[in-house]
Amino acid sequence: MKKHLFRRGTCLLLAAAVLFGSLAVVSSAEGIDQVDPKGSESTSADLQEMRALVGTVSYDEYLKPYLQEAAGGSVVDVDVVNQLVRDGTTVATVVSESEPCLTSRDADQSLWKSFGWSENADRSVYLPASGSASWNFLVPSKGMYSIRVEYYNPQTEESSISTTERKFYIDDKVPFKEASTLSFPKSWNFDNLISSETTDASADDRSSVRYETTDEGYFRYVVRVADGKKTTEIWKIAQDINGNSMAPGMVQSSKWSTYYVQDGTGYYTGYFTFFFSEATHKITLEAQREPMIIRSISLVPSDSESSAQIGTYADYLKKHEGAAAPQNGEVTVIEAEFPDYVSDSSVYSTNDNTSAETYPVTSRAQLHNVIGENSYNTVGQWAAYKFSVNESGMYKLAMRYKQDALQGMYICRTVKLSGGEYGLADGTPAAPFAEAFNCQFDYSKKWQSDYIKDGDGTVFEFYFEKGVEYTLYLECSLGTLKTLIQRVENSLNAINDCYLRILQLTGSDPDEYRDYDFLNIMPDVLVTLLDQAVELETVKNEFEILCGTNGSHITTLDTIARLLDKMGTDDGNNIAANMSNLKSYLGTLGTWINNSKRSAMMVDCISVCPANAGSKELRRATANFFKSIWFEISSFFWSFFTKYDQMGLTSIPDENAELIEVWLATGRDQSSIWRTMIDSADGYTESTGVAVTLKLVTGGTLLPSILSRKGPDVYIGLGASDVINYAIREAVMGVSGNDGKLTDEENAVFRQNYYTYLFPENEEHLTTTENRGTENLSFRTETFSEVLGDTNRNGRVDDDGTDANFAQAALDTVTLLDVTYGIPQTMSFAMMFYRMDVLAELGAEVPQTWSQLLALLPVLQTNNMSIGLSYGSAIDFMLYQRGGNMWKYTDTTKYDSKYAGAKIGLSDDVALEAFQYTCRLYTDYSFPVSYDAANRFRTGEMPIIIGDYAGIYNQLVVYATEIEGLWEFCSLPGSFREDGTFNYDSLAGVSATVMLHGCRDVRAAWQFIQWQTSDSIQANYGNKMVALIGPSAKYESANVKALKNLSWTAKEKAAIEAQMKHLSSVVNYPGSYIIGRYTKFAFLAAVNDGENPIEALSQYIDTINAEIKRKREEFDLETFETDEEPPTLDQTTN
Amino acid sequence: MPKTKAETAVRAKGGEAQKAPRPVRREEMSKLRWTWEEMKRNKTAYFMLAPFFLLFIIFTVLPVFLSMILSLTDFNMLQMPHFLGLSNFKRLFLEDDIFILACQNTLIFASITGPVSYILSLLIAWFINELPPKIRAVVTLVFYAPSISGNVYLIWKTLFSSDSYGWANATLMELGVINQPILWFENADYVMPLCIVVALWTSLGTAFLSFIAGFQTISRDMYEAAAVDGIKNRWQELWYITLPTMRPQMMFGAVLAITNSFGFGAIVTALCGFPSVDYAAHTIMHHLDDYGGARYEIGYASSIAVVLFVIMLASNIIIKKALSKVGE
Repeated sequence: MKKHLFRRGTCLLLAAAVLFGSLAVVSSAEGIDQVDPKGSESTSADLQEMRALVGTVSYDEYLKPYLQEAAGGSVVDVDVVNQLVRDGTTVATVVSESEPCLTSRDADQSLWKSFGWSENADRSVYLPASGSASWNFLVPSKGMYSIRVEYYNPQTEESSISTTERKFYIDDKVPFKEASTLSFPKSWNFDNLISSETTDASADDRSSVRYETTDEGYFRYVVRVADGKKTTEIWKIAQDINGNSMAPGMVQSSKWSTYYVQDGTGYYTGYFTFFFSEATHKITLEAQREPMIIRSISLVPSDSESSAQIGTYADYLKKHEGAAAPQNGEVTVIEAEFPDYVSDSSVYSTNDNTSAETYPVTSRAQLHNVIGENSYNTVGQWAAYKFSVNESGMYKLAMRYKQDALQGMYICRTVKLSGGEYGLADGTPAAPFAEAFNCQFDYSKKWQSDYIKDGDGTVFEFYFEKGVEYTLYLECSLGTLKTLIQRVENSLNAINDCYLRILQLTGSDPDEYRDYDFLNIMPDVLVTLLDQAVELETVKNEFEILCGTNGSHITTLDTIARLLDKMGTDDGNNIAANMSNLKSYLGTLGTWINNSKRSAMMVDCISVCPANAGSKELRRATANFFKSIWFEISSFFWSFFTKYDQMGLTSIPDENAELIEVWLATGRDQSSIWRTMIDSADGYTESTGVAVTLKLVTGGTLLPSILSRKGPDVYIGLGASDVINYAIREAVMGVSGNDGKLTDEENAVFRQNYYTYLFPENEEHLTTTENRGTENLSFRTETFSEVLGDTNRNGRVDDDGTDANFAQAALDTVTLLDVTYGIPQTMSFAMMFYRMDVLAELGAEVPQTWSQLLALLPVLQTNNMSIGLSYGSAIDFMLYQRGGNMWKYTDTTKYDSKYAGAKIGLSDDVALEAFQYTCRLYTDYSFPVSYDAANRFRTGEMPIIIGDYAGIYNQLVVYATEIEGLWEFCSLPGSFREDGTFNYDSLAGVSATVMLHGCRDVRAAWQFIQWQTSDSIQANYGNKMVALIGPSAKYESANVKALKNLSWTAKEKAAIEAQMKHLSSVVNYPGSYIIGRYTKFAFLAAVNDGENPIEALSQYIDTINAEIKRKREEFDLETFETDEEPPTLDQTTN
Repeated sequence: MPKTKAETAVRAKGGEAQKAPRPVRREEMSKLRWTWEEMKRNKTAYFMLAPFFLLFIIFTVLPVFLSMILSLTDFNMLQMPHFLGLSNFKRLFLEDDIFILACQNTLIFASITGPVSYILSLLIAWFINELPPKIRAVVTLVFYAPSISGNVYLIWKTLFSSDSYGWANATLMELGVINQPILWFENADYVMPLCIVVALWTSLGTAFLSFIAGFQTISRDMYEAAAVDGIKNRWQELWYITLPTMRPQMMFGAVLAITNSFGFGAIVTALCGFPSVDYAAHTIMHHLDDYGGARYEIGYASSIAVVLFVIMLASNIIIKKALSKVGE
């Protein structure tokens, strides 16, 4: 009876709370907008934006009404400076040499000067990495135009390694899907040029190129005679102490380039044409990634020569009818591992030891001898090679390559040229003829060596003139496959729509024995399914004709077509029975498109051969039997002597040299990136003179190593709870000093530098970079507390500290009793991902609060959709959003910090309510407890999922490319608090870099940590990860300032930044392991057995407190009995 | 420790050398002296035994003794331990409710999986033995496969996935038995039975193989002789001839069954997470992991290990007694 009363009471109370809560929301709706911090800085897309996105047409549809339109009259030049719209929203800065800066941003003046431009006195416009800029201009005569932009990629504080991207609008509208985002390519070159010399050429100078491998490295000697000059260059790929090649660094080359608005998906070749009526128009560029400078924007009539409408190969040959093959028969071999420029910093040379014929190759070590494979396979990526010939005439290009990515499928490359008659005047390359877009490379498991040709076997001939420097661009493209792949993609979208339609009727588990009567309810869906079955079948047949074989890759389409056919006829309830099959096939098809669009191959060399050369001039494709056998055997034996732990080591550290040992428990890639960064020219070792032994260990190694006193000095990436566990057992050093075990000297190291590190604005100089050798390192002389001037603050960064390196929440997780034990290295937190297309179709705004989210739920559920939220994280962040705390007595203004964490905070009313609210999401609102988030998000069944931002992003970006651009992420929904505000907190999960007691050189190790966790190094590391592994290797640096230079888009950055301002963390106190399990028990009791959540949780409170008490006693910390409260500060002072 | 074959062989050889007259007779020596003399005589055998024996001592015997010592301390892996006396054991038996629960779970678990898997192994091995050799090889592989192929038990995780797309959930929902997916491995009602089923599925391991091998070694002559002596049916054959002949294999199998059923922890953790919901499948092994791993209380964990060791030892002795009754 009593229980009943209690239940009723709580029910009433809750009902009242809900009622008044919502009343409060409604009544203070206006007020909330002002209080609500998110109101002004919301990073999620609004409904209109999402609808616009979904409603955008494709290029083909865009062109349809304009097929009869003629080309525009004349070139329209937009005056980028004077026609710039200045309406307050535009963020561009006009800059030029004569008139450096029109805004007050002084930084830009120096920026401008730093480019050192003198050749161009024109005024240009600087577009920062965020915000948008528009231009209004008059088009005098209507017609079709291409759009040409002259741009420059500056290197500023804002720039990173990613490609420059802008969203593109004409008259405030995305003209069509394919032109919604423009990528302005960057160009990179390697920093391995050793010497370069230019003299006037004499008559008998000849161009030549020679390659040589020695113990010193792998060299390229180039002599290039062009334009009356003779250039002699030496390039070198350096080696480590065991003779393995080391990847050269990359430098972004800064030069003006010309860009025609064109396709980035690979489905269209040539430049886009746009229709402009005779009126004033507006062009808008909205920043996605990277800053850029624009000198001119022009509308070029689509038929004019300057828009470089490309002729056919026949026309090209006609133009060079008189030219013959050169007499001397000289063959110029270009080793592909030495590109002069590349499009992406991820396109770099690598090693392949599968053939003894590849040059250079040795069984002893890994020499860089090829380019390509996984890092050079995305549409639009290219590598470029400079060359010149000694005799004018017709040439052929040959390549030795291995293309074994997809069984039976050929891949394509676009050959572009610049120099001489080719390309644009400013050096921007262009395809010499239309067929050059479709150079075809067939599938084979072996190495191949052949002339560059098209699918019909026509070997292309090129005219090269003596004394001209040409640059050959090999660009990944879809070539002749583009239409077919595009058709499959359209098919996929159509099938996916069908799937969602059916799903809305049947739910995820259709009843096989029920007659849904699809034929009458949704005949169109059945027709579409049948249509798509035919379509896929046709595409498959066309693929077979194109490729000549029936590889396993193509057969996939057949399998799917058969299923669609079966479902389309719906005999014997095929639809219901095959829904889960269809779902998995949708995934397969998405992956299929992904794979087909990747055109990976390895290139060993490119040869420029005379047009009359036969197959003898080609480099041998495969080694002869004896040579390859010998190579294999010697490789096998040498493999026993390869020292993998010395990869990338350039010198064996001197025994007497200062040395610290660093361990990390990540992957090989991560470890090798740190290795190169430590050893690089501006790396840690060069700056401090302290050598670093970097060891890759498995996760659990640290504990036993500490036990046996063989531990490292520094450990990278220790989880926050372990940091505290080790710290309280005196294994980890307190880096804020004063952990009770440090000597005075050690304390001094931390007390001074820790402060300057966390508050860089007070830092006069970074000790690591300016002083070599540790003996003359100048540390600041002030003590920690003197600098602080306020002994109550513990040297932590305040939330409002705009210049802080780390979020307070992150530091809290590695802090115990006022001592900080590590510097955060990674920080993960949950954010909300949403499908814009699905929400737009449902007419739903992105929910900003939990009540909005729950209001949206019925709409989703009637369509058999749901929301993905993992209960583990939900329990925690809901608690903090609603103002609760996992621990009691953490308020330092009220209690002495030694009492913090003495009891569990879940017994507070607000905490119990938060817990009940979370449980109700799963019981009353039936959120699924267990689900495959990525898969359901991809099909659209779960248009909203909440999870770790980088984790989910990385998964979606490679796994679900077919929904690319259809999803975004933003801050978590907010909870309404009693004080009338909304709270959007997410919880930070931290891993830290720590120093261990027994460290042999505290000063050096501490400097290493400062270096390693500093914003520039963290950003550099994150970018290198992306460069090496791809866009799915986004790194969640804990250094807040590093985010700026990581390769997220402006919008993504803004979203992450917004969430970073709303972070809490569950602090680790002794006994924290016990909480998670009991809250889980309570949650499961509520979900499985329908127990009252509050009762379920309350029964565990005493058990949890008892365990915490026992654990605190182990470490001689203050404890309290169940009914005992610690004295507040007021009590003790009075 | 049972004497190894090598040792017995060498001793037998030594027996031949016995013909040489001995300076002193057995009766005239103390036991210690006698042992020493024997050891000197058989030094080759000891020498041959040494490599294994050393490793066995260092990696098996020593840790057992060490953990007995550690169980009397508050060792935490990182700092010097302090001597506590028997207080760990006191806490274990008097204060630790979860330990009692874990003991209960372990006993339920062991008393079901141990005997069932043992009898299952024996029976299946017996049936398989009746098959023609080629088919026998294939069937043996089929039964043995689950226990050699590493983490294949995770298939159960798919089968009983908590997702509404999991096989069991999807089937039940299709049949209309349930509306909401059941959280199989996160529901206290299902956790234990499921774990027992999975344990049985993977239990046809080494013991099963040794049974099959055991059946092969029995000479047909025995059966013929028994038939002459008046054995009436196959059951009597099994009880009076087959099983007694196989006693060594059965002992081996029993020891394995016991250690497996008591030490069954990793699979439960992989399936149900750690700790299992409401400690429903929390065994002594888990309790040991909990204190040794999550709480850094190696001293306490050692005392749990000692208790587990004693339980295993005791059940081994009981089994040994029981097996000696086979065929009587």
